[in-house]
Amino acid sequence: MSNSILESETSVESPAAGTVMSMQQALNRALDEVLAENPKTLIFGEDCGRLGGVFRITDGLQAKHGEQRVFDTPLAESGILGMSVGLAMAGFHPIPEVQFDGFAYPAINQIVCQIARMNYRSRGTLPMPITLRVPSFGGIRAPEHHGESLEALFAHVPGLKVVSPSNPHEAYHLLKYAATRPDPVIFMEPKSRYWQKGEVDVARPDPAGGSPTGAKVMREGRHLTLVAWGAMVARCLQVAELAAEDGIDIEVLDLRWLKPIDAAALAASVRKTRRAVVVHEAPLTSGLGAEVAQLITQGCFDTLRAPVERVTGFDVPYPSGDLEDEYIPNIDRILFGIQRVLEYKRG
Amino acid sequence: MAEISFPLPDLGEGLIEATVLEWLVGPGDQVERNQPLVEVETTKSAVELPSPQAGKVVRIHGGPGDKINVGEPLIVFEVPDNTAGIVGTVPKEEAPKRRVRLSAVLDED
Repeated sequence: MSNSILESETSVESPAAGTVMSMQQALNRALDEVLAENPKTLIFGEDCGRLGGVFRITDGLQAKHGEQRVFDTPLAESGILGMSVGLAMAGFHPIPEVQFDGFAYPAINQIVCQIARMNYRSRGTLPMPITLRVPSFGGIRAPEHHGESLEALFAHVPGLKVVSPSNPHEAYHLLKYAATRPDPVIFMEPKSRYWQKGEVDVARPDPAGGSPTGAKVMREGRHLTLVAWGAMVARCLQVAELAAEDGIDIEVLDLRWLKPIDAAALAASVRKTRRAVVVHEAPLTSGLGAEVAQLITQGCFDTLRAPVERVTGFDVPYPSGDLEDEYIPNIDRILFGIQRVLEYKRG
Repeated sequence: MAEISFPLPDLGEGLIEATVLEWLVGPGDQVERNQPLVEVETTKSAVELPSPQAGKVVRIHGGPGDKINVGEPLIVFEVPDNTAGIVGTVPKEEAPKRRVRLSAVLDED
């Protein structure tokens, strides 16, 4: 899987045994298969049924699987998630959708106070096998509430698992995996990557033999590890190619699971490279980058050559579309972060 | 391909209609988001309407001098199925650009 995103976008003739599809198509296929494999699965949300979703992720699923299993809801996220609690208690496996990240806020009570802790509260007698799909992050010039990064909020809640795919292959396999879990999973889809195509090896989730819940090395390198997830993985792979022109060999680690975080993979990568930069779209303060930096420090304190750098969004509300290129970490900001680490001298 | 219809919006507080002065695009044209589509006149002013989205123009409604009521179809776009009705804009894949160069003396011990 090394370099898979960049290679698959520029060359569809690479020899892997996969099918080339967009992340849209990969997610749609995964949902179609989950519906076919598990009769208890239900898909619902605003425009998920007849329209097929505002990003076409549920396109055709209502026609194929029926209005009892794929259906539209009123415009009320608290209702969508509240209904998911009841359905899960009754033995169903709901896959609700919140149409955009910023509209998860009206359902925070249902997510935090019910979904996250019902299993704990009931001593394991009422598990919540809910996969909440949230089109997430920025990059599509959308209005307010359509470009937010909520991973740190969700990751802070005991009882929730949080995952974000970075390419079509990951999207297909991580969604299929999440939908078969007995625990609630927040599935953060990087909406700016929906249309980019990549190779999906349907038969082999992890050809390198990694764990379905682990992080994944997307590019191997010797000098510095870039840690990212979601849409920032593709950008970090671009940065790694540019850094190679300057003789800097960068490893890109796709964290994939944001709760729980694969601390062992972080330590293994950074013990080798001895330097790390973590990149995310969310604001800096109390962002997940802080957690990643601590896990790296814990696992690699003796070998680190410099403090872990964070290249992130700013501590402001997500800006309007015209300003998002200034807000989301761009190639130069990531390169500056790398340079700060490279030139660090111990006092 | 899917067709998306854009109705005449309310161009002021409570305006109910507008008169077409001049179309700046026509059927078959590929337009970008925010590109001026048409100049219309209301009881308050003459304004250019920017395109709410990118797409190919399929139909335009009303010629110069015609009145169109708010909420009635103004223009119809054709867009690929996988972008029909989405909020926002599909990002363009561009070759990575950089200004920052890295320099480091790396000890390999």
